[in-house]
Amino acid sequence: MTLFLLKRILQAIPVILIVTTVTFFLVRAAPGGPFDTERTVSEEVLNNLQSFYKLDQPVHIQYQDYLKNLFQGDLGPSFRYPNRTVNEIIADGLPVTFELGLYAIIFAVILGVVAGIIASLRPNTLQDHLPMSLTMIGICLPSFLLGPLLVLAFGIQLEWLPVSGWGYSPGDKILPVVTLGSAYAAYIARLSRAGMLEVLGQDFILTARAKGLPQWRIVTVHALRGGLLPVVSFLGPATAGLLAGSFVVETIFQIPGLGRFYVQAAFNRDYTMILGTTILFAGLIITLNLLSDFVTAWLDPKQGFVKK
Amino acid sequence: MIRTYKSTLSGDTWVQLKKNKAAMLGLIILILMIVIAVFTPWLTPYSYETQNLALGASPPSMAHWMGTDVLGRDLMTRIMYGSRVSLMVGFVATIVALCIGVLWGALAGYLGGRADMIMMRIVDILYALPFTIFIILLMVIFGRSMLLMFAAIGAVEWLTMARIVRAQVQSIKQQAFIEAARTIGLSDLEIIRRHVIPNTLGPVIIYTTLTIPNVILLESFLSFLGLGIQPPNSSWGLLISYGVETMEEYPWLLIFPGITLSLALFSLNFLGDGLRDAMDPRISKN
Amino acid sequence: MHQRVYHLKPCKTLTLLLSLLMALSGCTNDHNTNVITGALTQTLHIGNGAEPQDLDPHIVTGVTEHRIISALLEGLVGKDPKTLKPIPAVAESWHISDDRTHYRFRLRKNARWSNGDPVTAQDFVYSWKRILSPGLGAEYAYQLYSVLNAEAYHKGRLQDFTQVGVTAVDDHTLDVTLTNPTPYFLAILDHYSTYPVHRKTIEKFGSMDKRGNRWTKPENYTGNGPFTLKSWALNRIIKVEKNPTYWDAGNVKLNAIHFYPVENASTEERMFRTGQLHITSTLPAEKIAVYRQKNPDQLYINPYFGTYYYLFNTRRPPLDDKRVRQALAMSIDRNSIVTNITKGGQRPAGAFTPPNTLGYTAPTQIPFDPVRAKALFEEAGFPAGKNFPTLELVYNTSESHRKIAVAIQQMWKKHLNININLTNQDWKVYLARRKSGDYDIARAGWIGDYLSPNAFLEIFTRDSGNNHTGWSDPEYDARMQKSQRASNTNKRMEWFGQAEQLLLEAAPIAPIYTYTNVYLRSADVQGWHPNILDHHPYKYVYLSGSHD
Repeated sequence: MTLFLLKRILQAIPVILIVTTVTFFLVRAAPGGPFDTERTVSEEVLNNLQSFYKLDQPVHIQYQDYLKNLFQGDLGPSFRYPNRTVNEIIADGLPVTFELGLYAIIFAVILGVVAGIIASLRPNTLQDHLPMSLTMIGICLPSFLLGPLLVLAFGIQLEWLPVSGWGYSPGDKILPVVTLGSAYAAYIARLSRAGMLEVLGQDFILTARAKGLPQWRIVTVHALRGGLLPVVSFLGPATAGLLAGSFVVETIFQIPGLGRFYVQAAFNRDYTMILGTTILFAGLIITLNLLSDFVTAWLDPKQGFVKK
Repeated sequence: MIRTYKSTLSGDTWVQLKKNKAAMLGLIILILMIVIAVFTPWLTPYSYETQNLALGASPPSMAHWMGTDVLGRDLMTRIMYGSRVSLMVGFVATIVALCIGVLWGALAGYLGGRADMIMMRIVDILYALPFTIFIILLMVIFGRSMLLMFAAIGAVEWLTMARIVRAQVQSIKQQAFIEAARTIGLSDLEIIRRHVIPNTLGPVIIYTTLTIPNVILLESFLSFLGLGIQPPNSSWGLLISYGVETMEEYPWLLIFPGITLSLALFSLNFLGDGLRDAMDPRISKN
Repeated sequence: MHQRVYHLKPCKTLTLLLSLLMALSGCTNDHNTNVITGALTQTLHIGNGAEPQDLDPHIVTGVTEHRIISALLEGLVGKDPKTLKPIPAVAESWHISDDRTHYRFRLRKNARWSNGDPVTAQDFVYSWKRILSPGLGAEYAYQLYSVLNAEAYHKGRLQDFTQVGVTAVDDHTLDVTLTNPTPYFLAILDHYSTYPVHRKTIEKFGSMDKRGNRWTKPENYTGNGPFTLKSWALNRIIKVEKNPTYWDAGNVKLNAIHFYPVENASTEERMFRTGQLHITSTLPAEKIAVYRQKNPDQLYINPYFGTYYYLFNTRRPPLDDKRVRQALAMSIDRNSIVTNITKGGQRPAGAFTPPNTLGYTAPTQIPFDPVRAKALFEEAGFPAGKNFPTLELVYNTSESHRKIAVAIQQMWKKHLNININLTNQDWKVYLARRKSGDYDIARAGWIGDYLSPNAFLEIFTRDSGNNHTGWSDPEYDARMQKSQRASNTNKRMEWFGQAEQLLLEAAPIAPIYTYTNVYLRSADVQGWHPNILDHHPYKYVYLSGSHD
């Protein structure tokens, strides 16, 4: 197990390095610099700015410096927000994005798994079709469409929920979480339905049934572990998509997360900020994939972690 | 998660698929959309870019069935032209992914051993890259070109394709007819071309139908962030993002593009599911 | 998996799902809105567009930042909220020499920093030295270039700051010497780049000319304005509170102001509608008609000190021909653009300087005259657009710029029979292309920093870094010089007029419209006077609760 973990962590290092290198040179290749403004900055000012941020040095020196600092966990100062470092901005925005993503995943898992289990118990009946078509809506109404519709309905027409914000007033987290989570609920419902169907057809379940165990016990104690395997392995890659989705949701609901910052940073050519967030996102995705593989292995009886 | 499917499209599959009403409906809607998109210039009397500023945004009427946008352009025409872009992005980017993924996966699966390991390691590493984030970066920095979008989206989507094809190929490789082909002296490439690739068609088609909606969504998502297609061209995502801005004043500007996109996504997903069900060998057990 | 048949219609399922959600959340929003509680506690809630880059007056350059800094700091001179005339602020009086190059400011003795220290003349000397320090890289340092030797010091040609024309005679007397009589100098003293900063606080966190000084963190901030910085939550909210040490604190009526960085204009409007904001920073064009009809009392459309225009690259043929530029400028139907596209009460602009700037209006206007335009085109060798190359029009990506570009493209096609390609580019790319002269025609906008025609006309002088057209004329520069030295206002305005006339005749630009500020404001907000600079000194603002 430790070997498996160690191997995966070692694998992550070249990935991070590739991400850093590609992004580093990509942003510098981009036309327009961080200090281009509507009002032209005089040559003298520009030179001073560039020397302050060490942009006047040869690129390979800048690259070396960046890697050196990165190794020490220092992502540098933000060009756009002079009194903040990238570390500070990330420390500020990440918890929000993380919270949003976590709630969305929880929402999606609860909705999806419940729908999937209900559907799997009586395949090809109304009990199957109803929850499955319900969750299907999530796939066909992308977040940038669902979000505004929810705002229109619950924020403006009914005035039940706040239209924006994150933790400013009670209930303002509901709409963003639902918007972000519902697409994943549909996938999870399909996966858990398929997984459950497969497990429910297996011998040990039939045996349990024959023993006269009640339905809920069979489902929760015996079937669930195996049935949810595909869901767990889906969660790793799903979080990557969730991060991207949070860009849209953060924009619609005015949420102070990292997603909005990232898009803004790209527009502003805030080199250090782009690099910092990209590296962070890459690291997150790798970690989450690792975690999901780990849990899959732990849940999967075939892998032998669990005595069954 | 990767399973093996019945490997060829047989008449049997078609019979199975025909029984699936939702999938058939999806197929019909999809074909209809493609036909409309292809023949758009002959189907509408309006241009997608000529403005009628005096008219402005008008609700659906006899002259404009889906109303007009704030610049007085016929919305239905813009949706139809938008379909061309969205569907094209969907198909072309998927084809890019298809070509790379099938070739890569087939090679890895067929060669096996060290080559396989290295090739799949590369896929693993690429999987870990935050591609959506890269696409955003690329679109911001190098402008909104269609070509770039195709390439970028294609580059993301081929990875899963490669994994699926490799798994499929590995199972085919064990089968007798490959041995037979080898004994009569066909080269590796020849075997891949003649026997391996055709036999992976099933899962590839299924995955393709499920990739297209993802790609269409990705394009819409980029358009929503202001990084998609350049106006005056339109795409579903772009139309929706405009529609959102004015959803209270001119709801039809959101409703019609929204329905179109949802309908397309519905159809593609149902069709993909239907195909999967029709080809899944386990169905025949039931 | 099994084949499925879907029995439910989407709309039915949607309702079901939504009602389920509502049952889950089980909440209704009957809390008091910000607007209601704000009136009770005198707390103003403002939508402020974007997250400010910083709150250091010597670093920042934007309107967003100005709106907050003007609550936290105060310069020598303030402005009357209605007339914008300079009024005493930190300086309680001043004396101007006869040749109008020497200013002596008497600072009020009761002006204090928020930590209790007195605001002294030395504070101003220090602050001006700071913004002029080359190492700081202050983009707005040029605001002080009218001060003797300031430019030389800022550009590193002069090392000795004592030679710069600002000296503290004693704690409460400040002398300023200018190179030329600069009529708008007092107005500049209400620009944040000339505001004082607290020396001890700055030096606690870094040297004078270090960027990224952390003194602007809420726990460190020391200001001298009517409010102090209470908290700064990145991308969420900035709160300022009444400053008890402010010399005029007795007249400050608001207890607090909350600034929200809301980038999306539709979101901002929704926040306003649901009572979260008293004032928005803008309003989407589509909503203007709605508010005009339903809530005209909340809608404000004020002229703004800015011009929307197109640049012609005069280095490139055929745009090097004055007649071609004139013809292009004359075939833009500005009226149609403001009535059909922008719709926000903008005024069609036939000149560069907004009309009635301190009583100045350009003596000539570029007319909308397609007939003359056609004739000019023929003279220039392009009868009915024949042989005219396809030019490229560059604008930065934005729906409103695009609409205008498309409309003008059609106008030029119609009146001159020429084709123009439109290219939209990301903001930074667009700026880079404009600056390097890599364009044929480009969109541009200019907002004046201080109330004087000079704020507009100076950008087309030879040495201006903001003149990207490649056009310059020694005669124009001479007339602008003369306006600086003019002995009285009328003379000066006359020179401005003559300069602008020259500019419009040469037409390196085609003015399109004069900006307006469109925003929403709750009826509770009092003492907020619309003005052309959109500056609203907060000390005069208060809230009257019209709620039960």
